[in-house]
Amino acid sequence: MAMKERSSVRVPRVIVGVFFGLAALFPLAWMALSGFKLNSDVLATPFSFFPPSWHVENYVQILVDPDFSRAMMITFAGAAIFTIFSIAINSMAAYVFARLDFSFKRTLWVIVIGTMFIPNMAILLTSFIVVTKLHMLDTMLVLILPPLASAAQVFFIRQFYLNIPIALEEAALLDGAGRWRIFTRIFLPLSQPAFVVVGVTSFMAYWNSYVWPIMTITSPNLYVVGQYLANFRVSRGPELGLLMAGSMLAALPVIILVLIFQRKIIGNIKIAGLK
Amino acid sequence: MTGAVTGSTGRGMTELPRQAGVASAVPARRGSRKIAGRRRHRDNLIAYLMLAPVVILLIIFVIIPLISAGYLSFFNWSFYRASEYVGFRNFVNVLQSPDFLASIGRGLLFATMVVPTVMILAFLFANIARGLGGRIAGFVKTSIYIPTIISGVIVAIVFTIIYDYSGGVLNWFLGLFGIQPIAWLADPSIALPALAVPEVWMMFGLTALIMLAGVLDIPDSYYEAAALDGAGWFKQMTYITIPSLKNVILYLLIANFTASLQEINLPLLMTQGGPLNATLLPNLYLFNHFTQDTYQGQPIAGALLLFIVLGAISASIFAVLNSEKAVDG
Repeated sequence: MAMKERSSVRVPRVIVGVFFGLAALFPLAWMALSGFKLNSDVLATPFSFFPPSWHVENYVQILVDPDFSRAMMITFAGAAIFTIFSIAINSMAAYVFARLDFSFKRTLWVIVIGTMFIPNMAILLTSFIVVTKLHMLDTMLVLILPPLASAAQVFFIRQFYLNIPIALEEAALLDGAGRWRIFTRIFLPLSQPAFVVVGVTSFMAYWNSYVWPIMTITSPNLYVVGQYLANFRVSRGPELGLLMAGSMLAALPVIILVLIFQRKIIGNIKIAGLK
Repeated sequence: MTGAVTGSTGRGMTELPRQAGVASAVPARRGSRKIAGRRRHRDNLIAYLMLAPVVILLIIFVIIPLISAGYLSFFNWSFYRASEYVGFRNFVNVLQSPDFLASIGRGLLFATMVVPTVMILAFLFANIARGLGGRIAGFVKTSIYIPTIISGVIVAIVFTIIYDYSGGVLNWFLGLFGIQPIAWLADPSIALPALAVPEVWMMFGLTALIMLAGVLDIPDSYYEAAALDGAGWFKQMTYITIPSLKNVILYLLIANFTASLQEINLPLLMTQGGPLNATLLPNLYLFNHFTQDTYQGQPIAGALLLFIVLGAISASIFAVLNSEKAVDG
């Protein structure tokens, strides 16, 4: 800040800012702490933020529950595979649209970007018909394959590639290096900042998915973690401490990802182009 | 499922289109074309190979479903029975269906509760957080971002318990002021606003951070000059901050409006659309009909209509903005 503020302005700023932060965290913090409560203490009156007595059992019990840990592991594996493949194919397309010159480039660009504006619900039922005809129902493929190609990610990575100076690849081109070689040797190593953003987005989208899995996955051993939790709430509703512990553990992977990459993700929120 | 998720909900979409990048690309492309000269389009083979995965997957899982939705909306279509061409009957029926129209009205009402609240809170936050630096800014930004990445399932579970009639924290808190417990999710007149609260909670973070980025882009010198001329806080907001943020605000309005109109996880998990359909938002209405009806031509037609309406709303908001720009000169 260029202007040095007086403390009479600064102190209220800090207080209100921190209040917003705490209000945002309150429900999650309460959920995490409720995981340490007895089932009967979660909804006890008067309300207690901290557990009256601490019980680690809930977290232990839910972790050793084979259904829960299987759901966590299979969702994690699916999300990891999904993230890697979506970065791979979307970055290739982004590079092609950013740098290569080929027939029907404009038409293909318009088609790819156009898909960004189709709401899920408009194609939900017909997508279900498509995966049914492809015999993909109740397999991991039905969760991984349909959302893999993402116009939003192609767009985002392409913007990033457009800002890489062309001089970097000119020398390689003159030396006769092929386009594929330039992509893998020059572009991929520079892509990390963009890949962090789209990678976290992909992981999160897969990890948090719910409506599509409940339509397409029926075997309990393939449940995604959100599906497991929603079923747990219905079938084992009174075990609130356990439910809170499970919810907390299920929220943890995306929270950890964001904490690891917070600077890159939050620092990347820019508004250029909107002025 | 596809880009539509990140694009239309705004959750996770962390950067907006950059015109600067597009502009700088134009001379670059021209340059390479000049070098290539007669070898124009020499990249066809490698370009198509590298594009193939994305294009093929988009065709199979987005474009074919879209085309078949358009096609099936003219049929009395069913998974189990032979279908029959019915012309525009599905569209006419769905438009005359009081339940469908009511769900859209409810969606608009829901968006009207959520979007202004999110925008005002985010605007206040951005102007307050503008002056924060260092560790405090880092803590606050990360904290408000976390709710935007939490699964809707978990949000629904936590807020259902917060709203619990006899043991929930909300009724306990109100009880401290002598207010009788309220059946937040069971009272038809309160259930929809009760769902708006977690929606606001999830939507606030990204909106506020984008707004903050916009506020930080306004040069300090504007405010210094205004302060020298004796402009107070309110005048600085109305003459400097809001006009400078106009396009950011417009983008956020549209993104949040379309996202809240399409909310499905909260009503699906917290109220199942009840009580008395009070929280049956449009996407939940369509989802229920997709999964329960025998003949699905009508909900497909409804989904397509909703999609067209959403596009029209976004387009008209942009049109209003452009005409306003013209008046400004």
